[in-house]
Amino acid sequence: MTQVQIDENRESAPGAPLYELKGVTRTFTKGGVTVNALRGIDLEIARGETVSLEGPSGSGKTTLLQLLGALDSPTSGVIRFAGRSLEAETDRVLTDIRSKEIGFVFQQFNLIPTLSAEENVSIAMVPQEPSHEKRLARASELLGQVGLAHRLGHLPSRLSGGEQQRVAIARALANSPEVIIADEPTGNLDSTNAGEFLALLDDLQQQFGVTIIIATHDDNVASHTQRRIRIRDGAIAADYLS
Amino acid sequence: MGIIGVSQGLSDAQNKALSPLNSVGTDIIVTRTVAPTLSTATTTTTTPSNRFGGGGGGGGFFAGQGGSSLNSSDSAALASANSSVITDLAKLGPAGTKYIHDFFVAGTLITFPSQAVSTVSKVKGVTSAVGALSLDALHETGTVPKITASIKTGGQTISTTVKAPVLTAAQQAAERTCIQSVITKQLGTTPTTIPSSGSGGSSGGGRFRFAPGSTAAFTKCLTPAQKAYQQNVTVPEQTINKVLNAPTTNTKTSTYTVAGVNPANTTSGLVTKAQLVKGNWLSSTPSVAKSQVLVTTAYASQKGLQVGETLTINKVGYKIVGLVNPTLTGDVSDVYFSLSNLQSLSTNTNRINEVLVSVANAKDVKAVAKAIKAALPGATVLTSASLADQVTGSLSNARKLANDLGAALALVVLLAAFLIAGLLTLSSVSKRVREIGSLRAIGWSRRRVVRQIMAETLGIGVVGGIIGIAVGAVICLTIGAVGPALSVTSTGLAVGASKVSGLLGQTTSATVARTVHLTAPIHPLTIVIAFAGALLGGLIAGTVGGWRAARLSPASALRDLG
Repeated sequence: MTQVQIDENRESAPGAPLYELKGVTRTFTKGGVTVNALRGIDLEIARGETVSLEGPSGSGKTTLLQLLGALDSPTSGVIRFAGRSLEAETDRVLTDIRSKEIGFVFQQFNLIPTLSAEENVSIAMVPQEPSHEKRLARASELLGQVGLAHRLGHLPSRLSGGEQQRVAIARALANSPEVIIADEPTGNLDSTNAGEFLALLDDLQQQFGVTIIIATHDDNVASHTQRRIRIRDGAIAADYLS
Repeated sequence: MGIIGVSQGLSDAQNKALSPLNSVGTDIIVTRTVAPTLSTATTTTTTPSNRFGGGGGGGGFFAGQGGSSLNSSDSAALASANSSVITDLAKLGPAGTKYIHDFFVAGTLITFPSQAVSTVSKVKGVTSAVGALSLDALHETGTVPKITASIKTGGQTISTTVKAPVLTAAQQAAERTCIQSVITKQLGTTPTTIPSSGSGGSSGGGRFRFAPGSTAAFTKCLTPAQKAYQQNVTVPEQTINKVLNAPTTNTKTSTYTVAGVNPANTTSGLVTKAQLVKGNWLSSTPSVAKSQVLVTTAYASQKGLQVGETLTINKVGYKIVGLVNPTLTGDVSDVYFSLSNLQSLSTNTNRINEVLVSVANAKDVKAVAKAIKAALPGATVLTSASLADQVTGSLSNARKLANDLGAALALVVLLAAFLIAGLLTLSSVSKRVREIGSLRAIGWSRRRVVRQIMAETLGIGVVGGIIGIAVGAVICLTIGAVGPALSVTSTGLAVGASKVSGLLGQTTSATVARTVHLTAPIHPLTIVIAFAGALLGGLIAGTVGGWRAARLSPASALRDLG
């Protein structure tokens, strides 16, 4: 398996939880109907943990994932990330946190179809690295580490599902994040590619201690994580180690 | 850009076609018209000096009475000048004779002596003055109907017998006395009895015989009634043409206009050599020019005439030596003769009805016009400025309408293109919600997202603008190369005898056609506008679309993708 290099020069507080959630709720109103997606979540996630969020569709796992990824703010409750409260932060601060400390991997990969693999990785570094050459060099390095050195200039449409997901992983790692959040990362992969993806995550976690949080309803994926949290009707139904 | 080019081309075509007094080369036109339409501004009340008076027209031109009242002497002259149009069918030949006849009439423009040209030439500031004669022509064709019967009467000798009248006693006594007197005169003595009538003079057998001639003497004694009771009457011969019935004719009348120009003057006149489009100009040799005419292209087209063909007028053939295309707003007639020829044909020898004047300096036109009025009392003097004001009133409205329409069309097209570009950009951006959501998720700020989309749409605008300009240029060049012909026809504006007569109500109208090739010129400003429009459209649409997308929270953007 390819070795992924992670920047270890970040500030951290050893022993302190990376995430602390207290009484987090999230309510959506759509078409006059109010939906309580999350109903008082209390949760702590330590640095370096690999966690899976399981649950059926509509259980609230993706909503929780978005709150953890600073993509959304809770209706009520407290979310602390690396010691900072996220619930009251501005969009600008949340954007900065996402850029520097959180990497995302989506089910649909969400690569930009008009950019090459190298450029797709590179654009994640645009807010942090003004040098185009340096961005491309880093992107090339990351793609090489996920086994796509020979596919740098290919458009996503010319890559397989597994390859696209690897590009997505490389993009998530571009800014050496504290945590990687993956939403149904194997949902569009066959079993072989899903296996390779999980192996890559294992490697990341084992070697560099990157926190990995995966939302999935695939028991096989969940079993690869250290900790499994079951979500049902917007609340944590079970939280246990694999 | 193509639309703007075509619009500009139409505007240019209009300028070519409608430019007032284009190529006429005339600053002032001097005419003489009957008073009603003359205003005090253009007519000077004249002295009765009759300086140029007399001649075929009759009524002392430049010596009539101006003002608002109708000039009776000029009206009479005008009526006389137009009287030749009366057709006497009896003089056209026997019944069944086909006849063709052309009449030349002055219309409302009274003729005056050519001497006026030299008078105008002497006015300070005048560089040239050219006399012209423009007339209405009536062309009549038909067959002489059976309209008369020739009846010869008289020549008979008529004898009648009547009963002698009974004389009164006094008549008898008088007659007796007279007879006795004659007898006494014959016999030398007074007879006791009077011989019976008819036996007098007989002297045979010793009887008395009257001297010869005595019968006449006795006849004198008879009363008038006795003398007339028997008389031979010879009726004098005479031929009477009597109208039997109202004649039914098949006379057809058409009108056209004719003008006389000086063949030697090719640069100024009712038509100039510059307006010759085919063939040659009239010969400068009068004897040759006498049998030549120029015809307008419109009239030639209407009548199917060609250069080299013969135009027959009053049984005389005139060779068409050239086709001319006068300006729409210039002086226009259908057929142009040499001036002397038309004067002769229309019995207007040495008479004209227009003087076309060129002035050295445009700013002097008003002063020169005033001087001409003073020099030619009673003249109507029109300047090009006043003429243009009047002639182009409707034309300028038409041009303004066309220009406004072109501008509005271009504006609408630009606006539509702008809106379409904007909507397409917005649509394109809205389809990129996943992409924008992903960028926001990986740490792109809203401002950065908007900036990125603006830059992209600006780039698309630049490329689109360049392609659009290239396509527009190709369209414009193609239109210019193909050059669709626009036919411009004017009827009744450039009228018969002249535009002047048209203004003054002359009824016969000439049709003038002008073909202007449509072009689509590409002006630098058009390119700039087109390019700026493309950029602006892209920029605004990109900004709006980008901002709309960036306003979505990344979670919403990703959630909306289902």
